[in-house]
Amino acid sequence: MSEQKLQSQTVQTTGHAWDGDLQEYNNPLPVWWVYTFYATVIFAIVYWTIYPSWPFGKGWLGGVADITYVNSDGETKTHSWNTRALLMEKLNAASVEQKPYFDKVASMSYEQIAKDPEMSGFIQSAGKALFSDNCAPCHQAGGQGKIGFFPNLTDDDWLYGGTYAKIHETLMEGRRGYMPTFGEVLAADQIDSLANYVASLSGIPHDAGKASAGNVLFHSETAACFYCHGGDAKGRKDIGAPNLTDNIWLWADVPGSDAAEGKIAAIRNVIAQGLNKGVMPVWAGRLSSEQIKVLTVYVHDLGGGQ
Amino acid sequence: MAVTTYSGAEQYNFDIVKKFAVMSLVWAVIGMFVGVYIASELAWPFLNFDNPYISFGRFRPVHTTTVIFGFGGSALFATSYYVVQRTCQTRLISDGMASFTFWGWMAIIFLADISYMLGYTQSREYAEMEWPIDILIEVVWVTYLILFVGTIMRRKQPHIYVANWFYLAFILATALLHTFNNLAMPINLFSMKSYSLFAGTQDAMTQWWYGHNAVGFFLTAAFLGMMYYFVPKQAGRPIYSYRLSIVHFWALGFMYMWVGAHHLHWTALPDWTSSLAAAFSILLLMPSWGGMINGIMTLSGAWDKLRTDPVMRFMIVALSFYGMSTFEGPMMSLKEVNALSHYTDWTVGHVHSGALGWVAMISFGSLYHMMPKLWDTKIYSQKMVEWHFWLATIGIVLYIVAMWISGITQGLMWRAFDEFGNLQYSFVESVAAMHPFYAMRAIGGMFFLTGAVLMTYNMFMTIRQGKREAAALEAKLAAKMARA
Repeated sequence: MSEQKLQSQTVQTTGHAWDGDLQEYNNPLPVWWVYTFYATVIFAIVYWTIYPSWPFGKGWLGGVADITYVNSDGETKTHSWNTRALLMEKLNAASVEQKPYFDKVASMSYEQIAKDPEMSGFIQSAGKALFSDNCAPCHQAGGQGKIGFFPNLTDDDWLYGGTYAKIHETLMEGRRGYMPTFGEVLAADQIDSLANYVASLSGIPHDAGKASAGNVLFHSETAACFYCHGGDAKGRKDIGAPNLTDNIWLWADVPGSDAAEGKIAAIRNVIAQGLNKGVMPVWAGRLSSEQIKVLTVYVHDLGGGQ
Repeated sequence: MAVTTYSGAEQYNFDIVKKFAVMSLVWAVIGMFVGVYIASELAWPFLNFDNPYISFGRFRPVHTTTVIFGFGGSALFATSYYVVQRTCQTRLISDGMASFTFWGWMAIIFLADISYMLGYTQSREYAEMEWPIDILIEVVWVTYLILFVGTIMRRKQPHIYVANWFYLAFILATALLHTFNNLAMPINLFSMKSYSLFAGTQDAMTQWWYGHNAVGFFLTAAFLGMMYYFVPKQAGRPIYSYRLSIVHFWALGFMYMWVGAHHLHWTALPDWTSSLAAAFSILLLMPSWGGMINGIMTLSGAWDKLRTDPVMRFMIVALSFYGMSTFEGPMMSLKEVNALSHYTDWTVGHVHSGALGWVAMISFGSLYHMMPKLWDTKIYSQKMVEWHFWLATIGIVLYIVAMWISGITQGLMWRAFDEFGNLQYSFVESVAAMHPFYAMRAIGGMFFLTGAVLMTYNMFMTIRQGKREAAALEAKLAAKMARA
């Protein structure tokens, strides 16, 4: 307190007063403030010396730091510090580290990879990164898919087949699922009968009378469902027609409804409207063949690969 | 008038100050409510209700515009009109122009909020308003400039008080920033849609030159102006150092203009621009702190007020948060630190330690000082001010701590590699890890909002009390006159 008194006795105000009592002392700049400011000036100069900084002539001062990297043509280059070169340097380092693993992926068979513990570890790691970047937007982060849009990859049900070869084919060439629209071909009660029949195949509560009518219709030339789904309604993997007897649903949101009526309505919708959106993109050319091979093994491991 | 009241209604135009002060609180409550809502949407996404008008993307600019320009802007209009009149000892040069700035500014906030909800945006952060609203802002702002400069020119004091330098710098710089960042071509005269005159990196650079200087001049210099009047007034002591105020004023104004590019580290921006801005951000540290030193040291010799005066406490805590966030900012501007913090919640936390801690707290303190004086009465409830102080402080701490943890977690998860050199986490895993912190942030926001609601009620009661006292006084006078 006494120090404060001393200050107000020795330090003068500027002599101005505003709005009655507003005044200003004329204390000198705090010494620590001034010296810290000088320190930041030195810091700035050092920073500008290390990194590219001031524009100069037609270019800019490059700074003393430099980066050596291998460019996409395989040439070794040294350049003053810049973010592009830094990225190349880091990508180079990562690809050098990963190269032996990718080389092994290329030379080994699927079965060999699956049996090799070290390679399995690599597949889990690289496969997860690739899957997260490329597949998860549709098939979701864990590969669980989304009813009405994208198939679940973690179950034992495969639309086009779950062998290494089939998964690889799906990735390389893409897929296009299609079911015709029956809303205009069949009458509403026929569609209802078919829906009850399909529900009965998976043990969903249904109207037995309608279901037996549906059974007849399913195997008739009128509806001709058996052409694609097969006489036993277990589907045909060669054309991606799903098995209707396993209570696994992709297009009809059957689990989304608790009541039997809602479940059957979901099936009716698919029969009436058909579908033309089951598109899996082509990945050949977008990912390297080693990357696709990694993903093949990764997806095979996700569900019960066959 | 028989009695000269403190408010001096004849000498000064306090009507305009009252209007802006009240609206500042109204916008504060609306804007902070929307803030709490969008924070809750991030924590509990069902709150979007599949309704496009209140989805996060459209509602977020409603929050930022309402709190920055509605609450902060109105508080600045109110205090700048109050301070310039009192320290120049003169009335605003035109009541009509003052009134125009009020109705114009209110229309701007209202139209901006509605247009965002309808989906109109320039997609420029803090400048989302489309071109017709930008033109209205330009007109209102130039009126403000003329009014402010005209009033200073008519001053009855030989010297211009330091608070007015800061306010003037803010008005001038904002005019400049607003104009150049919004140069755009409408697709036709009857369409809200426009395209920027700049393209690519230049466009981004213009936007962040604006964006950071909006922080520098709107949210820093202007509120320093507020601080330079209300802190010494509330403390009843002279400003610590006139010399420091000059040096840091010019240093701050000069340095700020260089640093916008630090928002674009690790992007397509040329590397030299980026490191130039990083170093200038470090140079900005001490000029920023000049204001904090001057504010806090003004209280030296009256430290006991921190214990006894909750309004003073608002101001000092504001200055402390100002000091902290102007330290944090330059650190985050360094490329190496920015590599971790960029695109994470750390940035969001940093903005809010400035916005809640500094801008809102200094505004609350100043309004608590000014509003009872405007209505010539005392604060209705000191206890509520105390409550507001603690609710706000706890709210800020919850908010910032949540964002620090989630921001650094995000940054670390995004750059984590496993033993095979592959990314360890997918993006969505980092989103899932944020959930508890998003909830904590929303709760912090609720604390802060509750405090603001309390203040609004307290000020509403203060105004009512002031009006009642004035009416009683007038009745007494009338009775006296009748007897005489």
